[in-house]
Amino acid sequence: MTTATMDNKGIQMPILLVAGIGFLITAGLVMFNLSSQGHAAFNISNDGLFWGFPIVVYDFFLLTSTGIAMVACFGFLFTGETFRPLFARSLWLALAGLSGGVAVLMMELGYPLRAMFLIPFSFAFSSPLYWKVLAVIGFTVCLLLLIWRARATQSTLDSLRGLTRLTLLFAILVTALAGVVYGSQSFRPFWASGDIPAAFIVESIVGGLAFVYFFTLLAYGFQADKVPVSIRSVFAGRMGGVFAWAIVLHLVFVVGRTVNGLYGNVEGLQAWQYIVSSPLYWIELAALMTALVIMFSHALRRNILVQVAAAVLVMVGLFIGRYEYIIGGQIIPLFKGSWAPPVLSYAPSSTEWLLLIMAIFLANVVNALGGVLGITRSR
Amino acid sequence: MAKWGMVIDLDTCTGCQACTTACAMENSRLPGENWQDVLFYHEGKYPNVQLKWLPRPCMHCENPSCVSVCPTRATYKDPEGGFVLIDWNRCIGCKYCQVACPYGVRFYTDEKAVVQPDIRTVFPSEEGRQWDPPWKGPQDDPRRGIGIQPHGVVSKCTFCYHKVSQAPAGVPDLDEDIPELKEYVPACVRVCAPKARFFGDLDHPESRVNKLIADHRGTRLKDETGNKPQVYYLSGGASAAVPSLRAVHQDKA
Repeated sequence: MTTATMDNKGIQMPILLVAGIGFLITAGLVMFNLSSQGHAAFNISNDGLFWGFPIVVYDFFLLTSTGIAMVACFGFLFTGETFRPLFARSLWLALAGLSGGVAVLMMELGYPLRAMFLIPFSFAFSSPLYWKVLAVIGFTVCLLLLIWRARATQSTLDSLRGLTRLTLLFAILVTALAGVVYGSQSFRPFWASGDIPAAFIVESIVGGLAFVYFFTLLAYGFQADKVPVSIRSVFAGRMGGVFAWAIVLHLVFVVGRTVNGLYGNVEGLQAWQYIVSSPLYWIELAALMTALVIMFSHALRRNILVQVAAAVLVMVGLFIGRYEYIIGGQIIPLFKGSWAPPVLSYAPSSTEWLLLIMAIFLANVVNALGGVLGITRSR
Repeated sequence: MAKWGMVIDLDTCTGCQACTTACAMENSRLPGENWQDVLFYHEGKYPNVQLKWLPRPCMHCENPSCVSVCPTRATYKDPEGGFVLIDWNRCIGCKYCQVACPYGVRFYTDEKAVVQPDIRTVFPSEEGRQWDPPWKGPQDDPRRGIGIQPHGVVSKCTFCYHKVSQAPAGVPDLDEDIPELKEYVPACVRVCAPKARFFGDLDHPESRVNKLIADHRGTRLKDETGNKPQVYYLSGGASAAVPSLRAVHQDKA
């Protein structure tokens, strides 16, 4: 093992322990609340807000997972061995993100086990969710195979090219289909748009880059001297530039949707007035803009702690954006009469917040486990 | 093969909510979780304020978006009568159908009770249902979403499938004024005191519902969605329309 590929096992074990204990506590609390209150533990209702915070968390983790996989596959396919030190770690991180998202979805569904065997065999061809589930299955299988194949000592770019392309294809497919789920709702103008799948793919890549930066540097305890030169040069070099331009593209979608939404008179677009009047929206923009400035500056992005800061800002910005998008499409009530407020009020319950913390802990457990077992170590 | 549909005359409807109550009793609905509801709207400012109302059952659309999006085929279009039904044994409670329904007529009742106190705690069910009301009807057909709603699934108006499906074949209308047919009439139609509701076969050339739609320019709600509801509204302009929520918002501002 060279310094360039050495993994800092020392930090992974404490993360595994803390995240493991945290996961057990939060999962236990969520299970207790759900078994005693059912879905009344969530603040969603039949007033019109059907998909609440759990779906926000699920979608955020799922798109992060596909984004990380896209970053890994694009990086490996386009830069070859340069990306090698990050390849295995990124793939495993994608799996960790996926596990967090799926765990939250299982808590949100009325019948999660029934869903697992009914959806794949329902042949509901007209449903975007059916295709999305099939794509997620394909993505998971490819991801596992690629992790396994990438671990082989003799694996080369040529030997992995086909599987990497297939994983990339499934990652794009899952992300695009997640966009179709919302974009196809023609009577919800806040959601409905043909460009949503493209916007999701860009957002997903931005998130993927942020998570790759953060968790790679975390594996080295955020200590510059421990990060291999090969990784430092990738992060400060081309990958930093790609990160900055990906943020630009994402901002074009965010600001474009906002401006168009504020101009629109169609029922449902009033949600934009509510969103831009909320400090959350401006925190999202400020976080993304700050990260953009950092990553565009060659001088700044050489600093590892600044890279970590940019990654965290992007994670926060994207999470707020996901929340605004999913909730914003539902807060203008349909057919609820005079007694319904013009805008539905919604705030996640304590159980819903616990789901987010649980997903973070679970993703960290899986990710740290990869480090402890040496799966994230590149050959 | 019939294609059952409903006509609601908004000029005749008095907004008395007898339909809402009858539906709730017939289908053992939880308070506030009304498959059939009457929505009230106000428009204008004092002294020119108008109170309007809109009865709203499930539209049993010809081209239902809820059926298209269901990932397990739990929601389906019944080929025998054009009903849109839910198989509770296949529903996974993902709520995609609720999100995809432009009319807001689907209910996932595991959440906080709409009306307090929570009657589910007063009459708890031991059979995985939402509750066990003492006055429940005998009909129970989970494969068609009929009976007391189980946990973890979505429910909706069935056009009283358990009654309508028993009607003699070939009848053009199910009218509560025809003694031999009244048992097959949907609960909301049967109790409508001002006779604002009509139920019949939209594919039958002799049906009264077809004549009403043709003679009084029956319109469908949110027709621009392409869902093609099988519920038609009649209005000479004197009564209800669905006002813009933005207008309500501006009034409040």
